[in-house]
Amino acid sequence: MNVSRTGALALRIVRGFRHDRRTLALVAIVPLIVMVLIGYLVGDDKESLRVGVVGATLDSEFVRAYDRQRGVTVTATFTNEADAVAALRDGDLDGVVLGAGHESCIHPPDGGVVIEGCVPVIVVGGQDVQVESAIAQAWQLASAQLMDQVIPPGGLPNLEIDRIDLPGGERPSTISYAAPAMVTTFAFLFTFMLTSVAFLRERSSGTLERLLASPITKAEILAGYLLGFLPFAAIQATLVLGYAIVILHAKVAGPFWLVVLVLVLLVVGVVNLGIALSFYARNELQVIQFIPLMLLPQVFLGGLFWPVVTLWEPLRAVSVLFPVTHAVHALRAVMLGGQGLADVAPDLLSLVLFAAAMIGLGVLVLRRQRA
Amino acid sequence: MSDAVAIRADSLVKTFGPVRALDGLSLEVRAGEILGLIGPNGAGKSTFIRAVAGLVSPSDGTVEVLGERPGRAVAGRIGYMTQSAALYEDLSIRENLSFFGRIYGLAGPAARDRGEQLLALLRLTEKVDRPVHELSGGQRQLANLACAMIHEPRLLLLDEPTVGIDPELRRRLWGEFTALRDDGTTILVTTHVMDEADRCDRIAFVADGRVLDVGTARELVARASADSVEDAFLRLRDGGAA
Repeated sequence: MNVSRTGALALRIVRGFRHDRRTLALVAIVPLIVMVLIGYLVGDDKESLRVGVVGATLDSEFVRAYDRQRGVTVTATFTNEADAVAALRDGDLDGVVLGAGHESCIHPPDGGVVIEGCVPVIVVGGQDVQVESAIAQAWQLASAQLMDQVIPPGGLPNLEIDRIDLPGGERPSTISYAAPAMVTTFAFLFTFMLTSVAFLRERSSGTLERLLASPITKAEILAGYLLGFLPFAAIQATLVLGYAIVILHAKVAGPFWLVVLVLVLLVVGVVNLGIALSFYARNELQVIQFIPLMLLPQVFLGGLFWPVVTLWEPLRAVSVLFPVTHAVHALRAVMLGGQGLADVAPDLLSLVLFAAAMIGLGVLVLRRQRA
Repeated sequence: MSDAVAIRADSLVKTFGPVRALDGLSLEVRAGEILGLIGPNGAGKSTFIRAVAGLVSPSDGTVEVLGERPGRAVAGRIGYMTQSAALYEDLSIRENLSFFGRIYGLAGPAARDRGEQLLALLRLTEKVDRPVHELSGGQRQLANLACAMIHEPRLLLLDEPTVGIDPELRRRLWGEFTALRDDGTTILVTTHVMDEADRCDRIAFVADGRVLDVGTARELVARASADSVEDAFLRLRDGGAA
């Protein structure tokens, strides 16, 4: 690979941005505006605790009764304890109510009989007494409601509280939980948007044909694009992360370089995805139509709003293919859980595989330019 | 003009699906000449130029450029001027020149000097720091030519270089092409403007992906017993000439 030619292409992209100040401003300002809004909306941290219930469905009587209690919301139900605890460790939940804690202990049709020897268990992360008591109190109240407000003789059974250590310490604030998702979404959105449009222009203006008739190689073109867009992706990620950390006090419990590595791997893949997909668009309007197609499934299925483990099995299988799923999972593990390289290695490997596949796709697409 | 061959195409075929863009095209372009490919739109002129530039792989037949198969090995010695001004609109002429110079391995003072020389030659010095999107159509074409010439190529491929520009600028451009030829550059130029045939050393009539005849304008007119180059082309194409 010729460094001078690759550098020239990267510099050309940087110069293009320098002349196109409106785009440059959008790269920096739009994420900040969104971050300010998110900070305003969730920054006070007074929202409900997110509770997962094992062994019950969302429409079961207990879950509906539990969900009616103040300060808690059942955000997911699970069929096994391991998935629920994994979601708790990932920061997707604040607490888990295990199966033994409700329908198997209380039998409403019989007028509220507490099965003898049954000890309901709730699992919480960290040592936050307020969180424990809120989740436990909600259980007590929900159980009482299920038994028509009649507390059985001997009272309700004592709850067993199982505290698991969260690697990052105490329960994360909402903004800390949202920051990895935001920075991933912006890195994906802007890198994809700018690369695909830039490459479409390269094709439609004839400059790509001129490049392909020159000594530059296809690998140098892809590398030049990557180097050209990386600084802007880095500036944007720095702004979003910086705002979240400094202004909104989002936490980064793990090594910062690992956050950067995750984002760099994501951007490498997305630059090449943008190049490859731009080949299938004839104009900028068509490229814009790719954006929701590429981003929305990843936003909805990538664990940004709902834990991936709670998804319907086939959708969970699909979400594993998404780079956003792995980037968000890895960033949450590093930023919230303080985890290290070994812990996020599977996610990093997935991002490396995604990047490699997209580079391959980029080379294929460039080859097809030569009829 | 030497007798050496800059481009040799033999029975070149290129199909795009059911379309035969090149249908057994054979042609030799001598080193140091201006050869004009003349024919209507869709005749296969641009496809041939793109095959010479290594942008199109032949379906059949062979093409040799400066003694080699088209590709990266020879790309550094070829200058390619596309039909529309293939320039970066956000960058200035100077930045475009600098970029394409580096792509062809030119950097530092050598690149700067060559850029200044071209800008003076094409009378673009005053516009050098203006972004391309602020230039007129003619100025863009001049800048386009400058970028194709930045690395002093031995072979210049010009795909309809004078489309959409005024007669005065067209005359200037042809003046530059002639000067380059005099300095030893081989030029293969496509056009469907018959007036430009007289400015070429030789012309090749191209229709339906084949070369109908090659020679000087005078030779072609005489062989077709025609009054003009245009008449000669039409007679040949319609089978009116012997």
